[in-house]
Amino acid sequence: MSRSQLDTLIHMANQIAINNAHYADAAERIHTHLKKFWARSMKHQIIDYLREDGSQLSPLARQAIEQLAQSQADARPASA
Amino acid sequence: MLQYFDPKHVSPERDYGTPARLSETLVSLEIDGTEIRVPEGTSVLRAAALADINIPKLCASDNLEAFGSCRLCAVQIEGKRGLPASCTTPVENGMKVTTQNSRLAKLRRNVMELYISDHPLDCLTCPANGDCELQDMAGAVGLREVRYGFDGDNHLAAETDDSNPYFSFDPSKCIVCSRCVRACNEVQGTFALTIEGRGFDSKVAAGQSEAFMDSECVSCGACVQACPTSTLMEKSVIEQGQPEHSVITTCAYCGVGCSFKAEMQGDRVVRMVPYKGGDANHGHSCVKGRFAFGYATHPDRLKTPMIRESIDQPWREVGWEEAITFAAERLKAIQAKYGRESIGGITSSRCTNEETYLVQKLVRAAFRNNNTDTCARVCHSPTGFGLKATLGESAGTQTFDSVMKADAIVVIGANPTDAHPVFASQMRKRLRQGAELIVVDPRRIDLLKTPHHRGAQHLALRPGTNVAMVNALAHVVISEGLEDREFIAKRCDESGYQAWREFILEERHSPENVEAITGVPAEQVRRAARTYANAANGAIYYGLGVTEHSQGSSMVMGIANLALATGNIGREGVGVNPLRGQNNVQGSCDMGSFPHELPGYQHVSDPAVRERFEAAWGVPIDDEPGLRIPNMFDAAVSGEFKALYVQGEDIAQSDPNTQHVELALRSLECLIVQDIFLNETAKFAHVLLPGSSFLEKDGTFTNAERRINRVRKVMPPLAGKQDWEVTVDLANALGYPMHYDHPAQIMDEIATLTPSFTGVSYARLDELGSIQWPCNEAYPKGMPTMHIEDFPIGLGQFAITDYVASEERSNRRFPLLLTTGRILSQYNVGAQTRRTDNQAWHDEDVLELHPTDAELRGVRDGDWVGITSRAGQTVLRARVSDRMPPGVVYTTFHHPGSGANVITTDSSDWATNCPEYKVTAVQVEKVSQPSTWQRQFQSFDRLQLELLRGGKDAAGKQPSAERANE
Repeated sequence: MSRSQLDTLIHMANQIAINNAHYADAAERIHTHLKKFWARSMKHQIIDYLREDGSQLSPLARQAIEQLAQSQADARPASA
Repeated sequence: MLQYFDPKHVSPERDYGTPARLSETLVSLEIDGTEIRVPEGTSVLRAAALADINIPKLCASDNLEAFGSCRLCAVQIEGKRGLPASCTTPVENGMKVTTQNSRLAKLRRNVMELYISDHPLDCLTCPANGDCELQDMAGAVGLREVRYGFDGDNHLAAETDDSNPYFSFDPSKCIVCSRCVRACNEVQGTFALTIEGRGFDSKVAAGQSEAFMDSECVSCGACVQACPTSTLMEKSVIEQGQPEHSVITTCAYCGVGCSFKAEMQGDRVVRMVPYKGGDANHGHSCVKGRFAFGYATHPDRLKTPMIRESIDQPWREVGWEEAITFAAERLKAIQAKYGRESIGGITSSRCTNEETYLVQKLVRAAFRNNNTDTCARVCHSPTGFGLKATLGESAGTQTFDSVMKADAIVVIGANPTDAHPVFASQMRKRLRQGAELIVVDPRRIDLLKTPHHRGAQHLALRPGTNVAMVNALAHVVISEGLEDREFIAKRCDESGYQAWREFILEERHSPENVEAITGVPAEQVRRAARTYANAANGAIYYGLGVTEHSQGSSMVMGIANLALATGNIGREGVGVNPLRGQNNVQGSCDMGSFPHELPGYQHVSDPAVRERFEAAWGVPIDDEPGLRIPNMFDAAVSGEFKALYVQGEDIAQSDPNTQHVELALRSLECLIVQDIFLNETAKFAHVLLPGSSFLEKDGTFTNAERRINRVRKVMPPLAGKQDWEVTVDLANALGYPMHYDHPAQIMDEIATLTPSFTGVSYARLDELGSIQWPCNEAYPKGMPTMHIEDFPIGLGQFAITDYVASEERSNRRFPLLLTTGRILSQYNVGAQTRRTDNQAWHDEDVLELHPTDAELRGVRDGDWVGITSRAGQTVLRARVSDRMPPGVVYTTFHHPGSGANVITTDSSDWATNCPEYKVTAVQVEKVSQPSTWQRQFQSFDRLQLELLRGGKDAAGKQPSAERANE
């Protein structure tokens, strides 16, 4: 059995969130992680999911993906 | 006066009789009128050899401590009585030694006469002819007659033991010098051999006078190498005769990266002899490196490129150009139809640095995306992530030799005697010298049974609870005030430390509170933490039992926390040491295989970095990371990812959740596989490009201690091209020009783009032998020990590593936890070792389970058992073993038909997607037939071998298809 691609991404985002939850700047850390390690298509899918539904994402993951949506929308090529 | 104190000045080609001594106090003496100064403790035999005076010897060898049994090395020393053995006599100031005179000559001739009176005189037909120390010594002492005759009692009729597939033991030729016994003890540390009997009855015996194969012998071959006669002799030499030239190269098995002399007749390897000048192995090897090289010339080797339209069609043998054009046209068409990001490539940790570099360059520059990844994804990607975050560099901190200064050795989730055997021998040597050992592992690994070592601590934790354990260890360090405050204040980030300190002091991390999670008694954890923290030098070694978890990266950071908190970083004897699985895992990571990093761990989003690569490569580089291997599979299944170029990897066998991987591979419109065999992945391929083995190419491998070693071509590539040449051809066919005449030029390019490699070149490697990166202006000879002054990120960063339980938990349906690993004789997916006589040790994967778990299920040793997880089911034979804790079962994944990865799941590390191979909840039950997957595998395997045969028959060649496993 396998999860669908989107289910996997949701699961991964929640997993990253829970593993960083203890930091004071957790959302920013999770956002940075997604920015640094996720492929463009994965970022788009998770951002789209957040916009369309987002119910399966933990609050912390949601917060981080909101930040990701913002940073991706910001003028490219600003990804340092 | 001759002065010798630097062991680097000696030639690895010579045998100086006894080991080097490293004392800085020099002793001056005179040997045959030559004055020489050597380190205190050096033997007279070695001192003489350093002055190029070669005293006859038989029982002495410079990789073994002196033994003094043959008496051939007797010398005369002014003012001393008798004729002492020079091997056991240490030098003294003012000593005057005579090595040759008529009295000594007579004594030596008498000694040899006695030896030869009980030795077959078949020199001309003896396999050691041309390489026999006994013969040499008979010549050196001028033996002309044997007055005793040959009719007395003798051992000439002793029977040969041929049980080992690689070497024979012919005791009729044995002179009982004990070198084999000492090599087994001192070099290998297995203690499988002994001298049985006394006086004339003395003889070498394996185990308790058993055949070698029935004894504890691990077939490392140290005894064969040590034998001065043909008593212990490689069967390849017996069959082929003595080699006529040799080439120094690097082993292509594990991450130890042993140096070998490939001893050759023409372009045929006669034997591999570990090279004494190799800085990783110092002349030692294991059964794989020394003996299991026959796969390189196995009939299953692919020799011709092949193509087909779909995977149900027979393969068609074609020329290189047609195959490359076919592949390039397909890739271009797919990109035109589905977009630039619809294709990708996988580099290999088995190939060279140069080949890996070219594949990721092909992806970034010719495919024009960052969809490149490597099999390190499924083994040590958490190491890269975790060590970079805490220590600032994605690599181990030490040399292997550093272990010889460690006082407490912590081994977490690693099984060095099986997976890194040559390093394990060195570690065992240190343990015999008295270092403490702490093993953190669910299984009772063999290291815990190290002969002549007592008091090992075993924290037998439940699978999946590593982070809880490392937090508990750190809790003890901090709460009991065992931290190194000076180191923390000077070398670590203060606010990060304070936050971590507050976190780790929380009572929930105490060993007493964690006991319920890990199952390890609190007192054991406290004792282990104290042992490590209080040791003058504490060193941590870890393997895939750390990384292959849903919290693999957290655990790597937890280990770094522990080392930082105790100041065990930045000198010899300490450090954080990842034991890398494959030969070039470190190198494949260094070379920019990961989708987010260019070579040298430089992030693709950094404009300054991209600018340098764009200038050198002449194309724009995507500033977003690409897909990782599991993401590629998911994207393939969902229809967005359509083509993949795989060099030297077998993802269909090695990656978790086989059925998902197979579905992904079947979804591809073009799969290009470059490999030396028709591996499991190739059965789903459309283009098959024959690869070259390590014996057929030039390049470099980087081992677990960051050591860049040269790989040298000893025979021409069987299919006509080295792997890097194939990648070059593919790039050119795609319209991206690549021009290299030799891998040395590729390394030169790497050096210009990778800050940690700026000083690396083939000329420099030839000069220094090997280089541990970073090697640049600041460190022109490389850097053996890292982080001595500071960290690449300035200060060490403590990471907060909260324990998050794995989702793979045992429950009523799946009450057991499966963990997977490997064993000594087989290597990884087994493609190489299964095609050698290593099969004699392990011809099938078995399921190990505890007697209680077996009894509960009515399972007896040897029964067929079905193992079922939420991902799938497979069937293996059971082995009941009390080295497993109750509730935990174990298997290996060396044979494709075993389907170990049919049961492993898609659960993975939160930071890197490294699969959680080490924890799968399963049920085990007695069954009578193979699983559904296995039956499908067998029929698909049969079909694909027929399709391969179809291609070969069409070209008029006879195939030899291997049945991997039944």
